[in-house]
Amino acid sequence: MRKPLLLSLAGSAILAGFSVAALPFSRGIFHAPRTPYDASDATFTVPAWVLLQRAAEVVPRDVSVVVRGEPPDATNDSYLHRFAVALLPGRKIIPAALWSVPTDPDELRKADYEIVVGKALPSPAGRLVLSIPEGSVWKRKR
Amino acid sequence: MRAGYLWLASFAIFPLVGAPFLGHRVFRGFGILCRTVLAGGLGMVLLSATMTVWALAGWRWGPVLVLASAAVAFALRWLVRSHLPLPAARGEGRGEGRSLTAIALVLTAISILAGVAATIAARSTSPDLLLFWGPKAQQFASARTIDAGFLSAPYLEYLHVYYPPLVTNVFAFGAIAAGRFPWGAATLTFPLLLAATAVGLFGILRADAPAPRAAAASALVISALALAGIHSSVAGNAEPFLLFFELLAVALLVTPAARSDAGKLLAGLLLAGAAAAKVEGLPFVLAVVVLFLLLDRSAARPSARSALFLLAPTIISIGVWLAFGATRKVFFGYKGYGRSLEFHWGHLPSVASAIGTALWKVGYALPFAVPILVLLATRPKGRRALLPIGVAAALSVFLLLTYLQSAQDPRLWIAWSGARTFSPVTALVALASFCGREEPR
Repeated sequence: MRKPLLLSLAGSAILAGFSVAALPFSRGIFHAPRTPYDASDATFTVPAWVLLQRAAEVVPRDVSVVVRGEPPDATNDSYLHRFAVALLPGRKIIPAALWSVPTDPDELRKADYEIVVGKALPSPAGRLVLSIPEGSVWKRKR
Repeated sequence: MRAGYLWLASFAIFPLVGAPFLGHRVFRGFGILCRTVLAGGLGMVLLSATMTVWALAGWRWGPVLVLASAAVAFALRWLVRSHLPLPAARGEGRGEGRSLTAIALVLTAISILAGVAATIAARSTSPDLLLFWGPKAQQFASARTIDAGFLSAPYLEYLHVYYPPLVTNVFAFGAIAAGRFPWGAATLTFPLLLAATAVGLFGILRADAPAPRAAAASALVISALALAGIHSSVAGNAEPFLLFFELLAVALLVTPAARSDAGKLLAGLLLAGAAAAKVEGLPFVLAVVVLFLLLDRSAARPSARSALFLLAPTIISIGVWLAFGATRKVFFGYKGYGRSLEFHWGHLPSVASAIGTALWKVGYALPFAVPILVLLATRPKGRRALLPIGVAAALSVFLLLTYLQSAQDPRLWIAWSGARTFSPVTALVALASFCGREEPR
């Protein structure tokens, strides 16, 4: 019975070694990440996560919000809608795009707030509420 | 931070809910740590099922849920007629045996700690946490029920509304206790459930084999799951829950616990947890029950009673969920990825290649290759090894057919899901290596 046991242990040792090797040592594993996705395969979510978390502090509940990227990209905007549903609970999230199809611009103009992930807007979308390197939050003029 | 700690602390409720059942003296042989873990699993199953019943009845969730779930655990206790305890844990052996046990436990601990470090370093967070598990749990906690309005709202079709409710219910329960849904803490369910699986597995297997063998088998399973989990980003999604329930249920059925009503009922309740955690949990349950009844006839006798103990919890749990979906007109059954029984065989080469690529990207396929090599080298004998191997084969065929149902090119889908969906297969293969040879007690 020793052989199967030793084989299991040898296999476990190899796998445990590779698990340790898979850790992101180069980023510093003992330093707190800014978001749960900092060292993951989904790092593309990080700027949106940071901006939406900050936006949650300045965008009131029960208002309507559109979140989009700059420069515009319908696939990216489809994901931004989903992230906003997760990170801005209690707000009505109007999708800038769904399943990579852009929403009618007239629908987007109904939003009370516009959150732009990425570069600053070429023309202001209203009153600037928040601006950080990851993007900006605008309150639409009525 | 405080919400995160509170959310994690809410997990202490689950063993309390399951304790009335696992407190039965028939389970004493498993040892206190293993029984606590099994009670925690049972607590999750019962509390989630009660939350779903409450939602179906239109009642808002409140503290009374905990009492109702614990009452069900008390009621289940009466179903266990036997007062003969299940086999007790076997000794550690002396000298070399103790050293081998210690080495196996250290390797298990290293794998779990690697899971903890990967999660804390934000290495293994699942995008699905942000896309649907988290938003649903957050909303359900806020609404104090499974919010049918949210699930049927326009633009939210991507939430996979029909996905079974255990993970969102457990997440929502913690969020109610914590006052909000803590995203970072939710990712820690990966190492937490990995550790719980290790403790439960070792405790169950020890009742059937000396400690060195039980510890070595547990180490192989846990180290494979840790590496697969770290690479395939399972922190915060349903895979750790699914694997916890699946592995502990199958472990019970490959040990002498399967010969008693108590063992079968406990396995059935854990199988219900698997079915309520993910869609693929349901075919898993069916494969386990059918193969158990066919392959281990002496343990399964009488078959009807065994089938009842093993299947009834799943039927009730999933039945209530499907009734909720149908009565609220949110969903009617599980949604397929194509027309039923229509398979795109032309996709077979690309599906096979995509699965190979997906597995290779997970630590050079080592979490899948190493257990297979150990199994081939140990050449398990005995019918009990056929249960995990048979279930692994059935699950592989199910997953392959699921990918072949897609009319679209499924390569991208496989790239982000293949390694995760096949992780129960490798864990079952690793478990099969334990079922090798009978030893004199």
